[in-house]
Amino acid sequence: MMAAMTGTGTATLRILMVVLAAACASAAAAHTGSVAGGFVGGLAHPVFGLDHVVAMVAVGLWGAFLGAPAIIVLPIVFPLVMAAGGVLGILGVPLPGVEIGIAASAIVLGLMVVFAVRPPLWTAAVLVGAFAIFHGHAHGAELPPGADALAYSAGFVIATGLLHLAGIALGLLTRWPAGSVAVRAAGGLIAGVGAFFLVRLA
Amino acid sequence: MRLLLAMALVLLASPAYAHPPPIGIGGFWGGLLHPYFVTAHAAAIVALGLLVGQQGWGRVTPIAFIGALMAGLGLIALAVVPRYANEALLVLAAICGLLAALAKPLPEPVGIALGVLTGIAVGLDSPPEVLSVREANLMLIGTGLGASLFLVLAIEGASKLTQPWQRIGARVVGSWIAAAAILVLALSFSR
Repeated sequence: MMAAMTGTGTATLRILMVVLAAACASAAAAHTGSVAGGFVGGLAHPVFGLDHVVAMVAVGLWGAFLGAPAIIVLPIVFPLVMAAGGVLGILGVPLPGVEIGIAASAIVLGLMVVFAVRPPLWTAAVLVGAFAIFHGHAHGAELPPGADALAYSAGFVIATGLLHLAGIALGLLTRWPAGSVAVRAAGGLIAGVGAFFLVRLA
Repeated sequence: MRLLLAMALVLLASPAYAHPPPIGIGGFWGGLLHPYFVTAHAAAIVALGLLVGQQGWGRVTPIAFIGALMAGLGLIALAVVPRYANEALLVLAAICGLLAALAKPLPEPVGIALGVLTGIAVGLDSPPEVLSVREANLMLIGTGLGASLFLVLAIEGASKLTQPWQRIGARVVGSWIAAAAILVLALSFSR
């Protein structure tokens, strides 16, 4: 009986040791987080926010409408200004009306495309830059501290750039009359989505 | 049943990685792959390569990088414990990415200075996490070779981007690297 109890006790102890070892196993990382997981997470992050997606596509669409040099300047400047907004978000600097700003960016940029507005480059850059601050702030505040932060940031910056590129590619349809109508209709759709998000916030 | 339960728990436990991607690869090959899989190293080296290739600087910058890299690895071999090497790499990635995005002509000494700083930071941020001295030395040799080869490939690739749209693409990639590095720097200083 005693021997049987001792045997059971030893088995329980062994299992407890295995459980403890399993619970204690953690990533002894010199460079923390998974690079692949961080990158994919960052890449997916802007794609799953419809308000972000439509605004980014609108930036590309409007850039294509404005032509050179805006079509070149916007994809280079936007990530940098967005990073400045991201820094504010990470550091916890409050920015009033972030979600309203994001929804407004879709409405304003969508309407710019609908009405084919062609302001001077600096006006367009300031307008897009101001909206980039809101988008960056939202992304920065949501940056996960656990995963490989650089891979995650690179992922979402690249995803943002690819959404611009999609907008630019779609905007190139303006070379044809029917394409121009389609692009302006897409601008209307973007403004509508922005209005939906704004109403939902109210 | 108990054994199955114990095995399931062991399988559910997170793996203990030294460096995430080249899992299980140690020694020379682990060191060789290290700069390609550690994001801050890859970002700094690619940004420097983009800038050097874009500016059309000669061989002095990569030679300065390799010299400084060897010095950094030598310091690691002498058991120097670096501080803020990773943050320094992020700063350098941001500077090189920003300069590549701006695409303004710059004097070559700027490239040499950036090459020296990046090389030493990569070297100091590559301490081998192994117990045997022989394996540690092999890893350091591998890291030196891998990082040097990485920079040469990045410069060669960037110098081939001669079409206008390719040059714009290089500037966009520079801005992406700078933006990502700035965000992570802010994150590391906010902790």
